Amino acid sequence: MWDRKSKWNLVLFAAVVLLLISSIVFLWMKTNTEVRSVVEEQYQNQQLLLTRQVSSSIERTLNERVLLLEVIANKDTGVPPDNFRSDLKSVYDVAGMFYVVEYVNEDGTIVSGYPEDNVPLGFNLYENKQSRAFERVKNTGQVYITDPLRLMEGNYGSFIWVPVHEDDEFRGAFIAIIREEDLKSRYVVASNSSNYAYLLDDRGRVLYDESENYERGTSYAEILGSDSSGLLDIISKQVNGTEGNGKYLVLNNGTVVEERLVSYSPINWYNQKWSLALTSPSSEVDRLIVSVYLKLFIVVAVSVLFIVFVSSFIVIILFNWSKSLEQEVDEKTQELKDSNESLRAANKKLKELDRLKTEFLSIVSHELKTPLTAMKTSGEFLLETEECDRSLRKKMLDIIIRNIDRQSRMVDDLLDISRIESDRMKFNKEPVDIEETIKVSLEVVDTIIRNKDMKVAVSVPDDLEIITTDKDKLVQVFVNLLNNAVKFSNKGGTIKINVEDETDSLRISVSDNGIGMGPEEVEKIFDKFYQIDSTSTRRVGGSGLGLSIVKGIIEGQGGTITVLSEPGKGSTFVFTLMK
Amino acid sequence: MQAENISGKILSLMEENPDITIKEISESLSVSEDLIEETLRKMSDARQKILIVDDEMDALLALKVALEAEGYNIVEAKDGYEAIDTAHSENPDVILLDLMIPGIDGFEVCRQLKSDPVYSHIPVIMLTARGEIDDKVEGIELGADDYVTKPFNLKELKARIKMILRRNQDA
Repeated sequence: MWDRKSKWNLVLFAAVVLLLISSIVFLWMKTNTEVRSVVEEQYQNQQLLLTRQVSSSIERTLNERVLLLEVIANKDTGVPPDNFRSDLKSVYDVAGMFYVVEYVNEDGTIVSGYPEDNVPLGFNLYENKQSRAFERVKNTGQVYITDPLRLMEGNYGSFIWVPVHEDDEFRGAFIAIIREEDLKSRYVVASNSSNYAYLLDDRGRVLYDESENYERGTSYAEILGSDSSGLLDIISKQVNGTEGNGKYLVLNNGTVVEERLVSYSPINWYNQKWSLALTSPSSEVDRLIVSVYLKLFIVVAVSVLFIVFVSSFIVIILFNWSKSLEQEVDEKTQELKDSNESLRAANKKLKELDRLKTEFLSIVSHELKTPLTAMKTSGEFLLETEECDRSLRKKMLDIIIRNIDRQSRMVDDLLDISRIESDRMKFNKEPVDIEETIKVSLEVVDTIIRNKDMKVAVSVPDDLEIITTDKDKLVQVFVNLLNNAVKFSNKGGTIKINVEDETDSLRISVSDNGIGMGPEEVEKIFDKFYQIDSTSTRRVGGSGLGLSIVKGIIEGQGGTITVLSEPGKGSTFVFTLMK
Repeated sequence: MQAENISGKILSLMEENPDITIKEISESLSVSEDLIEETLRKMSDARQKILIVDDEMDALLALKVALEAEGYNIVEAKDGYEAIDTAHSENPDVILLDLMIPGIDGFEVCRQLKSDPVYSHIPVIMLTARGEIDDKVEGIELGADDYVTKPFNLKELKARIKMILRRNQDA
């Protein structure tokens, strides 16, 4: 379970994490608000640009049309004989948006126009009490444009009154009618579905609203003012003929339904001062932001996926790499361990060799000094003792001669060992009869065999061929093995010599039923000076070099020698001899 | 052991009857006459007794002949165990102890003898083919009274034996 300290650590950790998360959320929200306001501003500016573009294009179109009429109205040539009919036609064709263009002479009678179908020729304004606008242009000499009026055909249109002068003399006026629907197409086309356009005149009355759901000539503020907070400000600015941005809230029974962004721009058409407004719901901005965020999110998600993919790929590569490194390190460690182990073993072996060398020297010294001691003692005794009886004298001289023989054998053995170890042993090969060689060897050891009452059984195949080997060395081998067998046998034991013929070698065994030895001793039996229980407890005589020499002789001729032994049951030496 | 027991009994029989014959003793103790004779010969041997411990027969034999010619009574032992047993049974006046002997080595024999208060007084002269100083130090630390390196000078050895025997008699 958690102890107190780690509990507190956990709480602290959680607090820090919460703090971090909340600060991130806060920053994000703040950023979001800022982003939103920036986007909204941008959006409104964009909308204002659009509004301005639309309004100025309308303004230019309308003013150009009026200018066409003004140009012919102020011609110096005066009223042409066809009462401007041909001029009006060309104006109509060039303008392309007039419903009709007419000429009213100074008497107030419509005398010409185009297209003729729409012209009530002979219609007198005074007689029909419609001379107010005519009078106005006659008096002011200025272009006058009426508010949209109901036409005789039933729809609405603006009447453009342009005074016609001939040398400053009033000669009537042109009337041109632009139908509202023709005008409408100009800006309705410009507005798109999410936008919503309306047109006000300089008294705040609605001229056009996309909803068409209004009574002609009513104030826009009256239609929407009660349900729209902030709209009145915008309308008052529009009435003043300025351009700008604004927003208002659409209310429904006091609750906010939506916020609308409004951009407005004036249209100045002679005496008509209009203001075009484009509105759009602020949810449009949100939609925009959301779409931006969506794209951003997609980019982030793709990036994250990419990063995760790449980094997991890298992680996998690194993991595999480190795994293979680990494996390599393990292998190297194992190799080092192994080599360390082998070095240690080698070191141990070297130490053992060193110890053996020291022991060898000490044993050699002992083995050489021992016969010397006997000789010296005997010699000194004979020298001191002048009167000495014959038998004692003979005894001492025997000792001396025996020890000289012993020392000379020892020196021979040491020379053999030295030759074997430096690979300098020479073999004088000659035809050898094995059976005879065994006989010779047995004669050499005859005395010690008889001293122990031992029996020897020799088994040699009858048809054994003569082989080529070093006879003296072979005798040495047999003598040493027999000496060894006798030494480690009890009185009355049996020695068996067995020769087997194999294809290209002879397999010869010498076995006894003596004291035998254990596996550890078997391992060392061919070592120099090794005798069972070596250090200082040599129960049997001998240099301890015999078996080493045997091994050297056998292996030096390409053969092998092994020993099988069991304590108490005797030993069997088996060697092979190449034919 | 047996010899000692017998010698005690022979002595008491001879005290009772000074004219007793060997045959009579042999009969009363029911042992062979030869053993009685041998025991009596040993008992009457006044020569100083030297125990030589060596596994090399020729070295032992040569030394034995040389020392017997000097008038010493020589007993021999061929290994460590025999050396201790013989020392116990024969109670020699001095022991010549070879270092490299089978069974238990010379150092160990010396240590065992010197740690036994009954035999610790017997002087020990170490004989060895090894000439290293370490052996000397170890030998003397174990209580060996002297130390002679093989092959030794016979006169020197005899002189050392004499000296040690005299020292022991004086003490």
